[in-house]
Amino acid sequence: MQRNMYTRITIVLFIIGLMIAVQYNTMQKPAERDTRDIWAIREELAQEKQRHSTLLAEIRSLQEVVGRYEQSEKVNQQAALTETFNRLKLQAGLTEVKGPGVILRVEPAAELIAMGYEIKEISPDLLTQLLNELFKNDATSVSIDGNRVVQTTAIRDINGRTTVNSLPLSSPPFAIYVGTSDFKAAQKMYNSLQASTFIDSFYLDNYKLVIEEPIEHLQIPAFDQPLTNDYLAEVKKGD
Amino acid sequence: MWLPFLGLIFGLALGLLTNIQIPSMYENYLSIAVLAALDTLFGGIRAQLQQVYDDKVFLSGFFFNIVLAAGLAFLGVNLGIDLYLAAIFAFGVRLFQNIAIIRRILLIRIDKKRHNNKKTPVE
Repeated sequence: MQRNMYTRITIVLFIIGLMIAVQYNTMQKPAERDTRDIWAIREELAQEKQRHSTLLAEIRSLQEVVGRYEQSEKVNQQAALTETFNRLKLQAGLTEVKGPGVILRVEPAAELIAMGYEIKEISPDLLTQLLNELFKNDATSVSIDGNRVVQTTAIRDINGRTTVNSLPLSSPPFAIYVGTSDFKAAQKMYNSLQASTFIDSFYLDNYKLVIEEPIEHLQIPAFDQPLTNDYLAEVKKGD
Repeated sequence: MWLPFLGLIFGLALGLLTNIQIPSMYENYLSIAVLAALDTLFGGIRAQLQQVYDDKVFLSGFFFNIVLAAGLAFLGVNLGIDLYLAAIFAFGVRLFQNIAIIRRILLIRIDKKRHNNKKTPVE
């Protein structure tokens, strides 16, 4: 009889424990619900598709390189190497680029100067944001006031002066050259910049951002400083 | 004697490790059910200490209270009256009363033990 009682109480306590644990779980870690609707899912799918196609394009270009090497193995290996070298230099921004693009001019807002507003240095954050927007819109090469933007470019405030590649920007007006892969991309860039809020953002800093019509022939200077890479190491032959 | 506690620990572990969750709309019901279960548990302990424990009363009270509490909450939701507050109030008050009685009984027992211990060396 006594034993029977303990068994029953044990079962009851087991149920109580389980209930408390479930309640605790529910209060502490609410299950994340998938709240995406069909459009959000479609958008995500589209993004993944885009990545897929980018990766495929990359694979194809690398396969082309491999093919070229294999072909030229007998004929002329040096030519293939030089070609790769030049392509990498172009990618790194060490060569001058000519092609279609858009010119952005940053000028002090004349009416604000007339009203006696003080024009301060342009903020590095604003420039960085603009750069991000440019690269988001498929810019291939950018130069700010004649300084080519490469992978290691830093836009920062040094002693109150805004610098690009550690060189201070000349006082406005200065120009930002944006190169694109083709003229259509340049037009798209122009339209999206016109529609963006950057004109207003620059005006908040007492600057006027003039976005010029896209042109076919734009010359973007090369990166002229030594390119440092602290983290890359040469691969030994045979590795 | 320790078997019931093992049951409690086993239940807690099972719930926490398997990470079972219930839909948030049933949270209210479960919280009231937990309260009812705790109330019954402490009622059972009190009855045991007062030597009036009855297995049938305990078991039926456990399940009946849980169902009644959840049912009251359900009715309250459908009628737009916060009836679950009545359940929380009733069970809460009883929980405190039961625990208070358990405390007193235990205190009296401890006192008695001390008294006995003091008396024995004299005799």
